[in-house]
Amino acid sequence: MKINMKINNKPVTIDVDPMKRLLDILREDLHLTGAKESCGEGECGSCTILLDGNPVTSCILNAIHAENREILTVEGIAQTKAGKLLIDCFDETNAVQCGFCFPGFMVSSYHYLMYDGEPNLDKIKHALAGNICRCTGYQKIFRSLYLACERWQKR
Amino acid sequence: MKFLKPNNLTELFSSLPEISGKKYFLAGGTDINVQIKNGLIPEGTIIYINHLPELNGIRQDENEIFIGALTTYRELLNSNIIKKHLPFLIHSLKNFASPLLTTMSTLGGNIANGSPTNDVSPPLLVLEAELELISQNDSRRIPFQDFYLGYKKFALKENELIKGIWIKQNAAKGYQTFYKKVGSRKTLTIAKVSVAGLKRIDHGQITKIKIAVGSLNEYPRRLFQLENFLIGKDLDTLLEYDISEILKKEITPISDLRSEKEYRFQVCLNLITKFLSLNFVG
Ligand SMILES: Cc1cc2nc3c(=O)[nH]c(=O)nc-3n(C[C@H](O)[C@H](O)[C@H](O)COP(=O)(O)OP(=O)(O)OC[C@H]3O[C@@H](n4cnc5c(N)ncnc54)[C@H](O)[C@@H]3O)c2cc1C
Ligand code: FES
Ligand code: FES
Repeated sequence: MKINMKINNKPVTIDVDPMKRLLDILREDLHLTGAKESCGEGECGSCTILLDGNPVTSCILNAIHAENREILTVEGIAQTKAGKLLIDCFDETNAVQCGFCFPGFMVSSYHYLMYDGEPNLDKIKHALAGNICRCTGYQKIFRSLYLACERWQKR
Repeated sequence: MKFLKPNNLTELFSSLPEISGKKYFLAGGTDINVQIKNGLIPEGTIIYINHLPELNGIRQDENEIFIGALTTYRELLNSNIIKKHLPFLIHSLKNFASPLLTTMSTLGGNIANGSPTNDVSPPLLVLEAELELISQNDSRRIPFQDFYLGYKKFALKENELIKGIWIKQNAAKGYQTFYKKVGSRKTLTIAKVSVAGLKRIDHGQITKIKIAVGSLNEYPRRLFQLENFLIGKDLDTLLEYDISEILKKEITPISDLRSEKEYRFQVCLNLITKFLSLNFVG
């Protein structure tokens, strides 16, 4: 089935099984390997992308769900001003150890920055609740988004 | 697995009878995709419904609110109509799954997947919601409390689907509300026990009460026996023992990997006494 979507602002048409997982389309067909698979069941957030601006786990999203919708991946986010700010803040607070979870945290953090952006620890914790990190520890990650929020407000 | 994407409702209903074998509706796909991954879905046809406008949207008429089956948790939690008239529903569901799941998870899918632990049922039960069901030539409304017939058994006929949920605008008006979901963590957790309640107290006496529980039986349900016992009772003279005896008859918790049945029973009892603001000592 032919499916149209926009990925990182570019129109894309692909001919795929409508049930193919969006994560696989991104990684295998489009070579956008930022989104990662670990649990494959929506539990860990390492495959997070934005669908029409909202965060979703692309491992349980089918091609058909993306028809005529806009997708922003971590590759697209990294090109934006807010994305670059987030990378700097994660770097400064040493919030990335092995880095496997990082693309997912970037996407959720970017969404929070755009949608709310208040430097508020409780809200930040909730915004990142769907992303799991197994090595850095969460405090540094919370701190980096907090820092990004403060800087984003002052820009 | 075969796949079908009908262009509209009419096309959906005319093609359904022609499909042989198992049929699965695909809404947000957050349950189905996990089931596919784990090999729990026998071959059949997947029918995409997530784009059908008739099943979508939150609307309000004179007395009621309609929540389309395809409404996502994200839409529900951000809806001004729901915030204004049914803040209890927002309060109950704000920790559903995780913010990443709310984007796709639909209320209709949550109900129709039919897990005994589903989050939406206890609040809908005490709000005395109704479900609108549609099929080729028919549309009917049933009380939500009649929807579940057993473990993953529903009052849905073949080729019938959930169109949406109806709730009276004043369903929680004038009531003290209560909702608690107990899990291993705050978000991304499956309920071990959940309790929703509405009550009215007049001079220390219970004048109206509605209690519903999830994860404690093969499907979520109202505790009518307990409600009948409590009505008219003076809060000061209630005994925990009496509540516990009735509860034993009405819930049949199971032991599973999440918790033991004794634990579930005790937590449920504690939540109910908390809801009644009874501070039993000991
Ligand atoms: C990581 C994770 C966390 C989760 N956390 C929670 C949680 O905290 N609480 C909770 O309750 N659930 C949770 N879930 C379960 C799931 O997200 C919900 O049940 C969700 O609401 C299902 O909706 P959906 O649209 O994705 O359903 P789908 O997967 O599209 O469909 C589920 C079932 O419902 C049927 N169906 C869908 N729509 C209709 C309709 N209109 N009429 C008739 N049948 C229909 C389908 O045929 C299918 O059998 C979680 C799932 C995951 C993967
Ligand atoms: S890989 Fe998608 S949520 Fe874990
Ligand atoms: S940095 Fe390794 S999982 Fe988060």
